[in-house]
Amino acid sequence: MHEVLLTLGFGLVTAAILSLSAVAFTLEYAVTNVANLSHGEILTIGAYAAYLVHRLTGSALLAALGAAVAGGIVALAMHTAVIDPFVRRGFGTMPTFIATLGMSFVIQNVLVIIFGAANVAYTIPQGAPHQVGPFLWTSAEEEIIISALGITAVLYVIITHTKFGKALRAVFQNRDLARVTGINARLVGAATWFLAGLVAGYAGFILAESVGTFNPYFGFSFFLITLTAAVAGGLGKPFSTMAGALIVGIVLEFAGGYISASYEIAFAFAILAAIILVRPRGLFTNARRTVFE
Amino acid sequence: MIQYLVSILTEGAIFGIMALGLNVIWGWSGDFDLAYYGYVALGAYMTLVLTIGQATPPAQYILGLQLPYLVALLCAVASSALMGLIVGLIALQHLRGIYFSIVTLGAVYVLYVMAGQYVPLFDGYNGLSGLFNPMGDALGLDYQSYQYFFLGFCAFIFILVFIFMAQVSGSRFGLALRSLREDERAAAAFGRDIYRLKLKAYVLGAAFGGLAGGLFAAYLSAFNPSAWSPIEAIVLYSAVLVGGRGNIKGVVLGVAVMIVLVQESTRFLPGVPGYPNIVPALREIVIGAVLVLFLRFRPRGLLPERRYIDRLPKGYVDPGVDTPPPRGFGIFERRSRPARDRDRRSPRAFPPLPAPGAAGAPVHRPPAQDRSVVSTPGQAVLVVEGLHKRFGGVAAVNGCSFRAPKGQVTGLIGPNGAGKSTAVDLISGFKLPDAGTIFFEGVAIQGLPPHRISRLGLIRTFQTPREWPGLTVLENVLLARWDPEREALWRGLIEHGRAQHFTSESELNGAREILAELGLDKLSNERAGNLSGGQKRLVEFARIRMAEPRLVILDEPMGGVNPVLGERIVAAIEGFIASGTSVIIVEHNLPFIERVAQHVIVMSQGSVIAAGPFESLRSNQSVIDAYLGEVSHE
Repeated sequence: MHEVLLTLGFGLVTAAILSLSAVAFTLEYAVTNVANLSHGEILTIGAYAAYLVHRLTGSALLAALGAAVAGGIVALAMHTAVIDPFVRRGFGTMPTFIATLGMSFVIQNVLVIIFGAANVAYTIPQGAPHQVGPFLWTSAEEEIIISALGITAVLYVIITHTKFGKALRAVFQNRDLARVTGINARLVGAATWFLAGLVAGYAGFILAESVGTFNPYFGFSFFLITLTAAVAGGLGKPFSTMAGALIVGIVLEFAGGYISASYEIAFAFAILAAIILVRPRGLFTNARRTVFE
Repeated sequence: MIQYLVSILTEGAIFGIMALGLNVIWGWSGDFDLAYYGYVALGAYMTLVLTIGQATPPAQYILGLQLPYLVALLCAVASSALMGLIVGLIALQHLRGIYFSIVTLGAVYVLYVMAGQYVPLFDGYNGLSGLFNPMGDALGLDYQSYQYFFLGFCAFIFILVFIFMAQVSGSRFGLALRSLREDERAAAAFGRDIYRLKLKAYVLGAAFGGLAGGLFAAYLSAFNPSAWSPIEAIVLYSAVLVGGRGNIKGVVLGVAVMIVLVQESTRFLPGVPGYPNIVPALREIVIGAVLVLFLRFRPRGLLPERRYIDRLPKGYVDPGVDTPPPRGFGIFERRSRPARDRDRRSPRAFPPLPAPGAAGAPVHRPPAQDRSVVSTPGQAVLVVEGLHKRFGGVAAVNGCSFRAPKGQVTGLIGPNGAGKSTAVDLISGFKLPDAGTIFFEGVAIQGLPPHRISRLGLIRTFQTPREWPGLTVLENVLLARWDPEREALWRGLIEHGRAQHFTSESELNGAREILAELGLDKLSNERAGNLSGGQKRLVEFARIRMAEPRLVILDEPMGGVNPVLGERIVAAIEGFIASGTSVIIVEHNLPFIERVAQHVIVMSQGSVIAAGPFESLRSNQSVIDAYLGEVSHE
């Protein structure tokens, strides 16, 4: 029983990071209808930014801020340079999707040139593990969970209680209809990507903090798990995405703990394939019946 | 230098085969398959474990059979095809677009992790090695001449693959595949079993991936996970995209540019001292950037997919609408269809069409022997009973029952939201009914997939025209006739020239005449996607003419159509009746319905509230209520 609770505790930490990454991914999807394959690179850049800021200032708080800002800027740049021109010209989902794959490849290799391909280690102190209720967490892990909850609350308020959130939901439902009612869909798209980038950049920071080391490819492998969580929850729906992240994070931790950590990505994809086949619109909505429905 | 050239060319040939295989799946069938490199890797691994000896500890791997290389190569192709079949069976059934790509990415990652982590399979990250100069010993070649021999061997296989692809490209099979890429619904509406066709293409592509992998293994003489991170395959995608998806010459050009020039040649550039990563990283940046830029500025690639250009043969005289067309060249006629279809194989002379404005021109009844099933008055072509379909809490179709008489035009009208379009989807198999029965010419068709219903002779159109935009108008029309025999893959391999596209010369002439009658003959070589909305509508009518169904359901044919075009549509509908096709029209334009329909069915709130001749409905209170809103009688 004790071991189960310990694993659950680690699973909650994974789920907290995963939920931030997944909610950012799903926000990007919501406003542009693009599954961003270069989403993982926003996390990677967040981690490198935090690494640089921490080396310069020694402050973990500034490092976190730096990660978020860098992530926001990169996401905004992605939207402006590639996504928006594709979406605006009506290029369709697939070409844009493939373009994000190319973008991911470019960013990874730019990072290789700047930072080298080798692993980089964080030097931010984690604090000693201590008992929190039934779980065993370090103070860094506590901060991860608390900050994830805080960010979720802020996102909830923005999406459900502000005019911007309303515009965002309108663009997700029907981009053209939103435009004829006077919503500037490009601006909403850019702002949403910036917001998503802030969250993803921060997620990159806490992911690197919790893993300890990272390299230019680390965001991409985490992205594959993010994708599982986002699809499990339902693409484009921020809060069911978070529920998906919670489930996937905990399941993966148990699978990693009890089977083998090496198979984690394969395991995530097994879950993903099962979900897509049975409930392609996510766990919390009804499945389609024929390929045309 | 010469050795360097030999190795680059060998690699180019191998990658050429790889890219041509990918082109079947991505270029023709239209599925962005991220698992593709997995089939290459599996082919390489299988070739190795089948040709090298038993594993000696600490190395571990399966098999180790020391088979001859060519046998191993065949087995490798088979295993890749098998894996493609498994992945395709799962992923192609319901998934398209990004969901398909995500699942295939998952599949390749599972394979990648298994190959890397599960050591007893392919010795984990150490990988496999030990396949040196296959076939070389038997031929008694030294190292130097072996390089030339292997280049020749790869080039020979590449040329065979290229000829194979060229044949498929021009065949009916290839055309049917491309129609899936262009519009799947329309493909299903005209009788294509999209799942099976896509699966065939997928397995075919995977098999070529395995073949390339087997050659690659011999070229490298070793294979391990560092040789194939799934994301590395991006260079293959960029090659296909840069060259021109769907165009096999383009794909080969793309391989020459992206893989031979950008990727392989730059491997031999001098590195920057102290920074070993810079040159490879720059190369990969170029590959990624080229992918994005081509998608943005030249999505069709350097050599775009070619159109099939129909040139009228010398001395071809347009028979006009009054001269009956030739009845076909007997020996080209194929008589494999069910007996009642026999005399429908060659295009029939349509009655002269009334000039625009000459409404109500007399409709010529077809000659009696032309109808295989003789229609008796009052016989129903379609009988719908108790049809139900719910979406969440909304009962879109709620106990709908009606009969459509044979040989007549039936109008299906009703206010918005009455459930007309859903009913059409249920009848044509595009949606599954919750309950109810549908009889088409006495055959129960409820729950059948769309292609089965279409093959029985019931074809529907869509509210917005669904042409195959990337195919020419003539190809759109030719492909409307589903011909299982001609669409078999092997058929495509043995035929040659332009004759691959059509079943017989008379079929081609029939298509030309249909286009001429509808005023589309000048556009027959134009891509259908470039036409105006009204012209696309006419292309749909041309396709129906070509398919010669026994019942056609037209979903709002007058939507967005100008009055002059409207006259042509009226004429076309009369032409359908004359050629033995019963018609059901879903429409909001009541004057139009009054003019063309002999029988009218009124739907409201999911069920039929009235049926009969148009005049009888004018005074029907429930019809008036449905259209004008419920009148309170309190």
